[in-house]
Amino acid sequence: MTKYLIWIFLPALMGNAHAQQTLKDSTGKALSDTVPRGTPKNLKLVTVSAGAFEASDKAKGASLTPMDAVTVAGSNGDLTQSLRSLPGVQQIGETEGLFVRGGTSDETKQFIDGTLFKYPNYPSVPGIPQGARINPFLFKGILFSSGGYSALYGQAMSSALILESVDLPEKSSASFYLFPANQGAGLQHLGKDNRSSFGLGLNYSNQTLYNALVPHVPDYFQGPSYLEGNANYRVKTGRSGMFKVYAVWNKSAVGMYNQDVDSAALRSGYLVKGGNIYTNMSYRTMLGKDWKMETGLAYSNNKDKRTVSLVDAAEKPATLPEVPPTLKNNTSDIRSNFAQTRVVFTRFLAGEQAVRIGAEHFYTKDAGVYRDSAVAQTDQLSAVFAESDIYLTSGLAARVGLRLEHTSLLAKWSLSPRASLAWRLSDESQLNFAYGLFYQEPQNEFLYRNRDLSLSRAAHYVVNYTRRAHNRFLRVEAYYKQYQDLIRLLPPDVKSVSTGNGYAKGLELFYRDKKTFKNLDYWITYTYLDTRRDYLNYPMSLRPPFAAPHTMTIAVKKFFPDLSTGVNVSYALAAGRPYYNIRYSDGWQLADQGTTKPYSIVNLHISHLMTLFPRWKHKDFSGFAVGVNNLLGTKQVFGYNYSYDGQHKMAVSLPANRTFFVGFFMSLGIDRTDDFLNNNL
Amino acid sequence: MKKTILFFMLLLACAVSAMAQTLDEAVHKLDNAASVKDYEALEKTFTALSAQQPDSWLPWYYAAYCNAKIGFLYQDDGDKIEPYSVKGEEQIGRAQALLDSAKQRQELSEVLTVASMVNRTKVFINPMTYGRKYGMLSEKYLQQALQLQPENPRALFVRAWVKYYTPKMWGGDKPLAKELAEKSLGLLAKDKSGTAPHWGKVENEALLAKFR
Repeated sequence: MTKYLIWIFLPALMGNAHAQQTLKDSTGKALSDTVPRGTPKNLKLVTVSAGAFEASDKAKGASLTPMDAVTVAGSNGDLTQSLRSLPGVQQIGETEGLFVRGGTSDETKQFIDGTLFKYPNYPSVPGIPQGARINPFLFKGILFSSGGYSALYGQAMSSALILESVDLPEKSSASFYLFPANQGAGLQHLGKDNRSSFGLGLNYSNQTLYNALVPHVPDYFQGPSYLEGNANYRVKTGRSGMFKVYAVWNKSAVGMYNQDVDSAALRSGYLVKGGNIYTNMSYRTMLGKDWKMETGLAYSNNKDKRTVSLVDAAEKPATLPEVPPTLKNNTSDIRSNFAQTRVVFTRFLAGEQAVRIGAEHFYTKDAGVYRDSAVAQTDQLSAVFAESDIYLTSGLAARVGLRLEHTSLLAKWSLSPRASLAWRLSDESQLNFAYGLFYQEPQNEFLYRNRDLSLSRAAHYVVNYTRRAHNRFLRVEAYYKQYQDLIRLLPPDVKSVSTGNGYAKGLELFYRDKKTFKNLDYWITYTYLDTRRDYLNYPMSLRPPFAAPHTMTIAVKKFFPDLSTGVNVSYALAAGRPYYNIRYSDGWQLADQGTTKPYSIVNLHISHLMTLFPRWKHKDFSGFAVGVNNLLGTKQVFGYNYSYDGQHKMAVSLPANRTFFVGFFMSLGIDRTDDFLNNNL
Repeated sequence: MKKTILFFMLLLACAVSAMAQTLDEAVHKLDNAASVKDYEALEKTFTALSAQQPDSWLPWYYAAYCNAKIGFLYQDDGDKIEPYSVKGEEQIGRAQALLDSAKQRQELSEVLTVASMVNRTKVFINPMTYGRKYGMLSEKYLQQALQLQPENPRALFVRAWVKYYTPKMWGGDKPLAKELAEKSLGLLAKDKSGTAPHWGKVENEALLAKFR
């Protein structure tokens, strides 16, 4: 999946090249707000930051910008993939999503302008990570919290990925890209008065040709193909209002055959078709001098149809007498409707202090067939929350909050206190603490069968030290996390219960240096994770299969200004992950277990920027990009699938040892330098 | 009692004389300033002088210049620059407000040159994100400065600096940078000292040293 790949190179190169240049384009609006609210004059205020990585367009020095975050080699333009280069996240090669600090990917939720982005990825396929449904360059602010996040968000036990969309584009532009497997075009138009804009985009990806050229394991009988269209409209209202609408529609199909684990002669088929519509409307405005209001409305309709089958060499349906037929042949077809409404009021107080209060409501309705059984459920989840930023002194700040939720499906209330404290040790360093309780509803696959469950719960305790100076950034974080009321599966025909538990603790390091080497930006991370869970069908407390005790990542970006070429390399090394064969006979038994070989991967991206038509009035920015993921062709093992009788196991590995891409892209900025200079000189 | 009063009066007199450095003296000190500490101290002096000479644009101009210089010295420390840039921006705005833009074209050119530098320091905060906006503003002020006074050696120096550090593809031109710096240096030889802006020799020489 290299769907949004294009968007990486173009802005990244332009960003790099802008580093120290005389700019050729212009924004009239730039003049009016050169001193934004809250810009420090003399005093450096402490900011609350435990548990979170913030990538903002206001980042200073070696702090992350959204561009830095998404241009890590190997991320394929997928935000969550690129965040795997940050500490606290596991290197999980066989599926998408963020596995944070001993949590599953389901424990990380994404929020866009305050509202939940419920289906961020294309429907998952066993063994092959699926890409994001959204372009990462829509965002000017990315707050990735790996623990202790704000009371403004809920229903995520491990992590919140809080995304803030851009307001108006800097100028009008049009672009297209052409990769053998991916094509797309986009347009952004900024109104003449610089107060409104609209945009359209269309992206199509079909891997059929690529898969015909590069040998790989699954035998695809459909796609993989992904089609996505998006539209946005943004308008400034009054002095301080901003109204934004974003809509994205997409459709995907992946059908594949793999060697069946139970029979050498048979193949198992997996077909998934997805369809999704997501719209997000947000409005924010100041109400007088001291109040701010932010509202959001989101709607999502999701279709997810899966067919599992067993076929013989001639692709005719087959059965295995020793295996229950429903295990090898079943259909699921779920349609989900999701709507959310949200409002947050902020009252600004003296000295950068603030109080926020708000409420939100989530409506979720899932209906259809799950593994051949009809299912239907509706959940009304309401929440109210309050949070306050308190400056005790200029060097000591606290953020305390409280969140109250009620879910109709489980008929349960939950109250989550959250608190963080930031203590500035010097101009350059800071010590942070965070604590919070985080509740989450069990996953649908359990709720479909049983609603007599509790909310699962995690408590976070985080301590963090940061030091920022000389375009270098060091961050050390230690945490302890306790899980309660996780789902526990009883014998196959008995209902599940909420009595599981677990813990995670660890230490994480992040060091970024933009200074030592000219035009070279790199970061190094190390993650230590000790986690155990006693949940699902685990016969005892076990290290879950998605947890490696040690992980190291390196991200390097080198820009050669004289060649207009950027080289990005990323490297990840993770200790082996545990795998288990758990079987039922007079209770859950551990029939087999082991540890996979370590995971080690190098990804490389090279991009070259040029201008093909320098004499055009709207000079183009064009370029070529080439890249290889898993450059060294290392054989990866993520885990094992066991046969029904437990006698055989089959490694879960990459579909192909290396992934290649090459492509061309072009962007036409609608340059208004002339008007600008004439009007302003 | 008398002695105590006398003592305090003496102390006060000393304090006042320390503060009441003349603009002449401060500018002379500025000619030899090199470190962040030097510029920070001088920035305080110039700010104090602006209160004593409310109608003169020069104290504000020099205060802003000190902040711009600190920004350039902190070029590789994006976390530290912002407060200086913000102060510099405000100060250069005050200097500009004291000028009669129709008559004092030469002075305005000097002010715009420093405004360009102040915005350039904002780019250093994080070139990736601040580069677009403030790089453009910086360029705009510089163009205006050169339009008002094409032979302003300080504006020519800033132009040379920008040409030197900009990638070729984006309009950077090292030979031109050298030419401009040499021209600026030549013009500086004619500058008088005193309180009028006359800085630039050291800066040009440092830039030209990169060609050796």
